[in-house]
Amino acid sequence: MFKNEEMEINLGPQHPSTHGVLRVKLRLDGETITHCKPVIGYLHRGVEKICENQTFFQGQVWTDRMDYCSAVANNLGWAEANEKLFGITVPRRAQYIRTLLNEFNRLASHLIWLATHALDIGAMTVFLYAFREREDILDMNEAFCGSRLTTTAFRIGGLREDMPPGFEKMARKFLAKFPTCLEEYENLLSENRIWKKRTVGVAMLSAEDAIALGVTGPVLRAAGVPYDIRKAFPYAAYGEMDFEVPTQTAADTYARYLVRMAEMRQSARIIQQCLDGMPEGPVMAKIPKILKPEVNEVYHATEAPKGEIGYYLVGEKGSTNPYRFHVRAPGFINLQSLPKMAEGGLIADIVAAIGTLDIVLGEIDR
Amino acid sequence: MTEPIIPPAPEVLEAPAGPYVYDYAASPQRQVVMPKTVPLPSYRTYLAEVKAAAEADEAKWKKMQADYETAKAKAEAEGKDAPKPPVRPVPRKDDNDLKTPWPQEAKDADLLLLQEVLGAKVEEIFEQAGELTCQLEKGAIHEALTLCREHEGLRYEMLADQSATHYPAANDFAYSVVYHLTSISRRKRLRLRILVPEGFVPESACSVYPSANWMEREIFDMLGISFANHPDMTRILCPDDWEGHALRKDYPVVGWGQRDVAFREDRGGMIERIALQKAGQLGINLKQPKAD
Repeated sequence: MFKNEEMEINLGPQHPSTHGVLRVKLRLDGETITHCKPVIGYLHRGVEKICENQTFFQGQVWTDRMDYCSAVANNLGWAEANEKLFGITVPRRAQYIRTLLNEFNRLASHLIWLATHALDIGAMTVFLYAFREREDILDMNEAFCGSRLTTTAFRIGGLREDMPPGFEKMARKFLAKFPTCLEEYENLLSENRIWKKRTVGVAMLSAEDAIALGVTGPVLRAAGVPYDIRKAFPYAAYGEMDFEVPTQTAADTYARYLVRMAEMRQSARIIQQCLDGMPEGPVMAKIPKILKPEVNEVYHATEAPKGEIGYYLVGEKGSTNPYRFHVRAPGFINLQSLPKMAEGGLIADIVAAIGTLDIVLGEIDR
Repeated sequence: MTEPIIPPAPEVLEAPAGPYVYDYAASPQRQVVMPKTVPLPSYRTYLAEVKAAAEADEAKWKKMQADYETAKAKAEAEGKDAPKPPVRPVPRKDDNDLKTPWPQEAKDADLLLLQEVLGAKVEEIFEQAGELTCQLEKGAIHEALTLCREHEGLRYEMLADQSATHYPAANDFAYSVVYHLTSISRRKRLRLRILVPEGFVPESACSVYPSANWMEREIFDMLGISFANHPDMTRILCPDDWEGHALRKDYPVVGWGQRDVAFREDRGGMIERIALQKAGQLGINLKQPKAD
């Protein structure tokens, strides 16, 4: 019956391995994917439209809810884009605390990526270990700003409050144990035969394709392009930090795993430097309570755990709302490369391809 | 062949009036306030504004002086004391960390190179808040993108972002389309901008930068600008049968056709049932809730 026919199937929208409501239209020749088309928009809430009809300050709660695994990184990009629009200089202590929280958030996001990606491919144990450490980071979020996931951590011009007492001790305690935790994950996966069979040589994306398709973040760095916005266009306190940009050249799923694991080590290094070199001073710039911009447009990009998150804002003279609020979501652009990765591969590997892109549908559909 | 069993259509209940029903048509979220200005950053407009402001300031000062002269002459004639001479008002300086980024003259080599190569196709170049902007003639965008990618002195490898803005208050255009280019090797960013009237179909950037594919689909979906020679010019976030384009300024925040019933205030679930019934989407338990 199916001898020479291609079969069309839908992966999702409600499928556990699509990390939300992503639908992928697949055309199969036997087990090989010949055509792949992602269909998105199931979580579209009109974040841009809503933010254009609210004041500059109110937009932040919506950035939390775009990529809910890395809310702090979204907040940071949003705050810095607004500061660029108004021309605000942020105090140095606030920059350090922002960097610190952002790197903790990168750890949390990478941990949840590791947990779910491994679970998709069939390694259950890492899931439990990774969530154990993520819990500590969420506790720190809670200590800092009162909420665990949707943090609303920053304000335009700095921070609402300084670090709470005992926060530094908490952070140092976490840093002391985190390297051993990383070793635990690597012991479980790095030389695991099943893991390597499922990841090595799977979902390849060369550097030329990645750049042409606008892919950023760990996926681009695993193809050998050392492009990290923290180094290329330093923001917050990253200009003063000493860290490396880990790269790999294999451009497959296993290389992306190695890049993200190495990135977690670098994040721990940055957190250590932030804690050691924390300057004294105020955490909020002196700015008026109501901000009204001049005519201006800014595009500010920061390195979120998933890639480049950019905010494009247009300010209208004398208005308290942004005239245009556009988000360049890293997941949205990265997901464009899914057909390139999946076509020609096996159907079982598309789960690895979706997992390795580290997508969150909340930010893709916005 | 037996006839398929069709369940009898349940009767359509009337929605209860009173506190349960919220008038969404009159809600502030449905009201559209059209913008009155055109907030398009431009060095030329900025210079004109600064000049006009300086002239207005000068005129005000001259008027103050003239008023003083007449008052003085009048006081002298009446034998009273002369009035105080006027003091030129100084703009108030705020002691805060705000330093408004004004547009500045383009000094960056990339912008000057673009102007040199493209000549009259470049309408304006300027810098603001540390960002480079180059406004182009709307037909020349494909040529400019190709140049930015291929030229040895520019080498902008990646199209990071593409977006558009609706300017209903403008006379000679309706949208601005912006392209944010990134040069990974040279660590630079550049913004190209075109101004597009309603109905104009700009050339797609897909053949130069394949990453423009979904971004242009999003612009088409949200603002209704279609692009020529795009491989798949369809909606991406909204369903294919969606009416209107949500990010236009004449579109309300709560879209038409959405949420005509206040589910939040309907504690018994009554209105939801009626709404589903009216929409013909029966399929859930339709038992009438008890009246308590």
